[in-house]
Amino acid sequence: MLPLEAGITVTLTIRECMVGGVTLVSTRLPQASRLLAGRTPAEVMVLLPSLFSLCGTAQGLAGLEAMELAAGIVSAPAQRMARRFLLLAETIAEHAMGIIKDWPALLGEEADLAQARPLRPLVTAAKRALYPDGDWSALGGGRLAPDRGALTEILRQVEDMAARLFGGSPEEWLDDYTVFRSWIHRHDGVAARLLSSLEARNLSGFGRSPLLLMPDSGPRDLAERLAADSDGSYCRAPHYCGHVFETNALARLVNHPVMAGLVLEYGNGLASRFAARLIEIATALQEQEDLVQDLCEDSGHGPARSGEGIGLGIVDAARGLLVHRVELEGGTLRDYRILAPTEWNFHPDGPLVRSLKGSPAGTDLEAKARLLAAALDPCVPCRVEIAAHA
Amino acid sequence: MAVPSRITAIDNCVAIVDSLGTLRTTSLMLLTEEVAVGDYVILGPGGAFASEKVDPEIAAEALAFLTEVLANGQA
Repeated sequence: MLPLEAGITVTLTIRECMVGGVTLVSTRLPQASRLLAGRTPAEVMVLLPSLFSLCGTAQGLAGLEAMELAAGIVSAPAQRMARRFLLLAETIAEHAMGIIKDWPALLGEEADLAQARPLRPLVTAAKRALYPDGDWSALGGGRLAPDRGALTEILRQVEDMAARLFGGSPEEWLDDYTVFRSWIHRHDGVAARLLSSLEARNLSGFGRSPLLLMPDSGPRDLAERLAADSDGSYCRAPHYCGHVFETNALARLVNHPVMAGLVLEYGNGLASRFAARLIEIATALQEQEDLVQDLCEDSGHGPARSGEGIGLGIVDAARGLLVHRVELEGGTLRDYRILAPTEWNFHPDGPLVRSLKGSPAGTDLEAKARLLAAALDPCVPCRVEIAAHA
Repeated sequence: MAVPSRITAIDNCVAIVDSLGTLRTTSLMLLTEEVAVGDYVILGPGGAFASEKVDPEIAAEALAFLTEVLANGQA
C-alpha cells in the first residue's frame, strides 16, 4: 500500500479470557486537506472529487457548501434539490457496492463483481442528466437542466439493482419489522443470508454497546471545535464533551420502523449496523423518486458576494457525517479542514472499540471483530489482529 | 486518499498501473468505460480494483497535490 493510501490496524489484547484492550493505529491523513490552502475555490472543486477513492461526490458537495457559505453565495433551492439527488445516488451506490463486493467474503464466498460494475456509472449518469454541461460542482450551482427521461431510466436501473439485491421490491418489508425478519429467512441473496447467518450463529447482537448516535447536524460544538483545531488533534480524534458518537446509516435511521425494531432487539449490534445500509438503499431510492418529480431548471452560478469568510459544509455521506470547514481570504482559501466519519467510528474510544471491549475471547474472536469492522464500514482497509500473550 | 494511477499494461482485465512511481497490479473488472495503456484510473481502497477513469488534466492536478502532501510529511 502506498503511504498516501491509509489503513487502520485494530489490535485486540486478551485479559482473563476477554478483550481487555483495543488499540487502533490509523495511518489516515486528516491534516492533508490543509494543503488545499492557497488555491481558489474553483481549483479545489476540480480536485476534491478525484482525491478520494470513496464518496467523491459527498466530498465535492461538502466542499461546495462550505465554500459557498464562506463566499456569501446562496444557492437556489433547485440546486440544493439536485445536489440532494446526487448525494442519494452516491449513498445507494456506496452501500450496494459494499454489499455486492465485500459481504460475500464475510460468508466465505466469491463476489459477483459484474453486479457491482454499473453502480458508479449510475452516479455519473445522474450528474449528466441534471447538469448537461458537466458543471455540477460549480460554485453557486451549474446549469441545471434535468433530463426527466434520463433520470427516470436511472431510477429504473436502481430499482432493478435493488430488486436483484433484495429478491423483490424492498417496499415489501420496508415498513414492518416482522415482514423484514421473515424476508431475511426467505430470501437467498447475499444480504439476507448474511443477516440470517448472524442470527444462526447468535451474533446479531454482537458488538452491542451504549447508543451514542451522531445528532442530525453534528455535535453542537462542531463549528467551534473545528475553528480551534490548529494542530489537527480534533480532526484526528473528535468528541463532544468526551463522548464519541457513532455516525452511519443506523444513526440516521434509528427512528425508522424496521431500524427501531432491530435496535430494540439487538441494540447497535452487527445485525442493526449491517441492516441499516439495506434500509437506507430503500429509503434513499424512495426519496429520489419523490425528488425527481420536483426537480426544475436553474441557470446557476450565483455571484460571490465576498472573497472573505468562513464556511462549514455538513453532508450525510454514506459512511456518516462528513464536514468541510474553509476560510476564504481575498478569493483564495486560507485554511481547509475535513472531518470524516471514519474518525468518529474508528476513534480510540469510539463505537468499534466500545463494541469490542469485554467481548469473550475465543477461536472466533478475530472473525467476529472483522465482522464488526465491516459493519462500521471504514473508508480505508482495516486489519484486525490479536496480540500475542505476553 | 486516492492516487490517480497511469495504466502501463493491460492483460485480460488486469492492469499494471504506475501510482506515483510504484507499479501495482489492479483489476479492471469494476470499470465500464474502455481504458487503454496511458489512461489514468483511481483505485478503490487497498488498490485491488480500479474504480474510475480520470481525465488526464484532473489526474495531473491531483498528482501535483499528492506530491505536495508527501513532501510536507503528511504521509
